[in-house]
Amino acid sequence: MSLKDVIHDIEGYQDIKSEIAVLKKYGFDYSAQRGRLDSILDMLHPKKLRLCVSEIIDETKSAKTLRLVPVQGYLPPFQAGQYISLVVEIGGVVTSRDYSMSSSPSQIGYYDVTVRRVGDGFVSEYLLDEAKPGDEFASSSPAGNFYYNPLIHGRDLVFIAGGSGITPFMSMIREVAGRGLDRRIHLFYGSQSPDDIIFGQEIEDLSRRHSNITWTSVISDPPQGYQGRAGFISADLMKEVLGDLSDRMFFLCGPEAMYTFCRKELAGLGVPGRRMRNEMYGPPKNITACQGWPEYIDADATVSVSMKGGKTITVRSTEPLMNSLERNGIVIPSLCRSGECSLCRTKLLKGKVFQPEGVKLRKSDRQFGYIHPCMAYPISDIEILLQ
Amino acid sequence: MPEYDAVVIGAGNGGLTGALTLARAGRKVLLLERHNVPGGCATSFVRGRFEFEVALHQLSGMGSAERPGPLRAVLNDLGVMDKLEFVEMENLYRVVWPDTFDITLRAERNAIVETLQDRFPKEKENIPRFFDLVYGFSMEMVQGLFFKDPEISKEKYPLFFKYALTPTRKVLDEYFSDPLLKAVLSIYWSYAGVPPTWLSFGDFAIMLFAYIEFKPYHLKGGSQALSNALLDEFINNGGEVRFNCGAKKIATKGGRVTGVVTEQGDTVQTRYVLSNASMLQTYLDLMDPDQVPRETLEGFRSTSIGPSAFSIYMGFDCEPEELGIQETTNFITTTTDMDKAFARWKTMEQQGVALFTCYDVSDPDFSPPGTCQAAFVSLQYGDPWSLVPPHQYYDAKYRYAEGMMELAEKAFPGVRGHIEEMEIATPMTHLRYLGHLGGAIYGHDQYTKDTPYFMANRSPVQGLYFAGAWAMQGGFQPTLTSGRSAAKGILKSMAKK
Ligand SMILES: Cc1cc2nc3c(=O)[nH]c(=O)nc-3n(C[C@H](O)[C@H](O)[C@H](O)COP(=O)(O)OP(=O)(O)OC[C@H]3O[C@@H](n4cnc5c(N)ncnc54)[C@H](O)[C@@H]3O)c2cc1C
Ligand SMILES: Cc1cc2nc3c(=O)[nH]c(=O)nc-3n(C[C@H](O)[C@H](O)[C@H](O)COP(=O)(O)OP(=O)(O)OC[C@H]3O[C@@H](n4cnc5c(N)ncnc54)[C@H](O)[C@@H]3O)c2cc1C
Ligand code: FES
Repeated sequence: MSLKDVIHDIEGYQDIKSEIAVLKKYGFDYSAQRGRLDSILDMLHPKKLRLCVSEIIDETKSAKTLRLVPVQGYLPPFQAGQYISLVVEIGGVVTSRDYSMSSSPSQIGYYDVTVRRVGDGFVSEYLLDEAKPGDEFASSSPAGNFYYNPLIHGRDLVFIAGGSGITPFMSMIREVAGRGLDRRIHLFYGSQSPDDIIFGQEIEDLSRRHSNITWTSVISDPPQGYQGRAGFISADLMKEVLGDLSDRMFFLCGPEAMYTFCRKELAGLGVPGRRMRNEMYGPPKNITACQGWPEYIDADATVSVSMKGGKTITVRSTEPLMNSLERNGIVIPSLCRSGECSLCRTKLLKGKVFQPEGVKLRKSDRQFGYIHPCMAYPISDIEILLQ
Repeated sequence: MPEYDAVVIGAGNGGLTGALTLARAGRKVLLLERHNVPGGCATSFVRGRFEFEVALHQLSGMGSAERPGPLRAVLNDLGVMDKLEFVEMENLYRVVWPDTFDITLRAERNAIVETLQDRFPKEKENIPRFFDLVYGFSMEMVQGLFFKDPEISKEKYPLFFKYALTPTRKVLDEYFSDPLLKAVLSIYWSYAGVPPTWLSFGDFAIMLFAYIEFKPYHLKGGSQALSNALLDEFINNGGEVRFNCGAKKIATKGGRVTGVVTEQGDTVQTRYVLSNASMLQTYLDLMDPDQVPRETLEGFRSTSIGPSAFSIYMGFDCEPEELGIQETTNFITTTTDMDKAFARWKTMEQQGVALFTCYDVSDPDFSPPGTCQAAFVSLQYGDPWSLVPPHQYYDAKYRYAEGMMELAEKAFPGVRGHIEEMEIATPMTHLRYLGHLGGAIYGHDQYTKDTPYFMANRSPVQGLYFAGAWAMQGGFQPTLTSGRSAAKGILKSMAKK
């Protein structure tokens, strides 16, 4: 005998059986739910977007805005400060880079991304010199954790931007101005020269029309006879311009060196860590200068990377593993390319990699040998498991 | 075309233990997962200095090494215990009604009875009687049902036959008159996702019994450590896994599984599929309509999609004491009307009951030194969220979270001032990461009519098996167990061939 044989002896069993019988007749018909899951997902977080360049706007001599419209359907919403990972194919190599939206989230017809030249940059150069209206790109959905949180950030915001780091702030400023939001913003904007100031005119106009938006432009390499502020965004400057710093929330976006400098300055002014937030910056310019980099490995050292059950390639120790893989036609999923999002999570079977501070591995991922190849530098011959 | 003995769809708890059981039996197994990490709900994510635990608040059924519970036995069997370190929680929970009432119960029967008698002197006699019932019932259930007594009968197990399907509320009303006491005692209804009015006493009693007897647990590294350990052991046993690679179609022929097509368009051959995706999704979107018998879909008509969750994950720049947090598990409540609290899950109204868990209280290493984290969760259905227009989604999310934070501040004044990192997950977030309709975290609703006694869980398609919340019941212990049971079913069927 088993429960099956005596189950009807349980008190209430028959009543529930009858209830079920009725429900089977009149209950919800799920067959209409075919495809519903994907359609809900596509409205908020589609896996991939296809975008078309509708217009290219010259901003400065070194920066352009690409206006991107959806090839079909709608653009998913984003929070001002978020980015998309734009996929490009250049000379047979498929890779991707992140660009923060500079347009307001209220602008639901397009995403603007503003790209600045970085010297010998692979993708920025392509986007600035080759991209033209009508070109199509794949991209991720909007992502990233650099945005304003009304629950904890308060109403008094200070933005510290360096160079192309202005882009997420432009989105935030445009949103606050456009929606008339009750937030006070002061922007410190560091540029190399006066010609490098992206969106200068628009920021100036907005700050004239909106008393809650103010800004200070700071030039690091001022030309002869320059009248405005010159130098760095220092503690003295912030104290002078802002006065009382308590209850302010600081957002930083710019080159790595700026974070190190400004965070220290802010800490010196007594700003607690939780009142500062900075955007990621991608792999460091020069990994050999990073703290903890093994000195015995020089800048042009090479090692071999073998993929379990697949090919073996030779790579440079000083290039992120992900880039080397892409260069060899092996594309692994990526999003932040800064070690934070874990999308590229890969199992290291043998050998050693260097992962600079800032790579956000889960504790148990570390325990079980996972690495984030977008910010992992192979410092010995390695074997990885692509999953 | 590559061939596998079995393909497992989804690396949630059920998929992982299922895949591992098959691999350990020497079978060639492919595990497909849409997301980039194993675990489904059982996962974590990193923000700033913090690794946030997504789902696990209290692990049930573990027990100690000396007095192992059923889950410990399962994990032992799966060979993952030596990779994991478990943390026992001393207290069952605290219930706090700001400015009104505050009580903490130890995870120990006599201590609970004493504490409750102290606070509810009028119910002094009733309290031990109620626990006699909970324990008496549970012992019968363990003997009769779990150990499959071949002589099971109404006469031999009177409490089981009387109470298994009785609404919890009816039993509570029979024993007590103080609504506050009833609320405190039955607060775990929110773990089941069904209010006492509709929760079977069987489900409730065994849950309370198991948490008291086997103690609530957590583990070092959070639930992701468990998921990673299961996956690691799976790989060590020759299992193959593909992440960022969902299953798109289950191919069948003449009512029998023949293969699986992945999102990337690859086809693999197999005669067995173990699906950890929801049953609904499996039948609706993974199979051709003409391959699913009509009765199968109609069988779902008596069920409804269960709750999802709204969670706020917070990383603080100070220790728990500084925030007045003394317990790991804090239920914050503002009502004794559980039906009303439950009804709110279907709306965008402010919650009546929510759970605030601070892991660092029982595991000081959980967050970096000098910090701590909390997960503040209320269950909520996906429906109201699917009606929010996409461009109002973020505003809606903050508005709802603001209401939750006001509740949190009532229990822990000033917490907001120490938040360094915060992430908010809505039912839509769970829907995205789990691929379940409604973002359901416990599968379908688990009313009494949905308990296993009434379910025909054998699939009409040969070779198709299910594991996880949708196949049985939600929660860690049931889903981890379900994968192993389903895999054993597959192994049995394979052996017949
Ligand atoms: C979240 C986020 C948001 C961003 N938003 C914007 C934005 O709005 N606008 C914008 O312009 N940029 C933005 N960026 C930066 C952007 O993603 C790219 O990093 C930038 O365009 C440079 O890419 P690239 O391919 O042109 O340069 P890369 O080829 O990646 O080179 C970058 C730098 O690294 C050096 N380098 C290249 N290869 C190597 C190598 N093998 N070894 C050592 N050094 C090497 C180059 O000299 C160059 O200076 C953002 C980045 C992140 C992470
Ligand atoms: C906030 C929260 C708090 C919770 N608290 C607790 C608690 O304290 N105690 C407790 O016991 N339980 C708790 N739970 C519930 C518990 O976590 C879940 O019930 C359980 O983990 C579900 O496991 P599952 O096996 O059903 O798989 P799920 O976790 O539902 O995972 C399913 C997996 O399948 C994958 N998948 C789906 N479709 C496909 C496809 N087509 N192809 C490939 N892969 C696919 C998904 O990506 C996912 O990884 C909580 C859950 C949440 C979210
Ligand atoms: S792409 Fe985000 S961690 Fe590597």
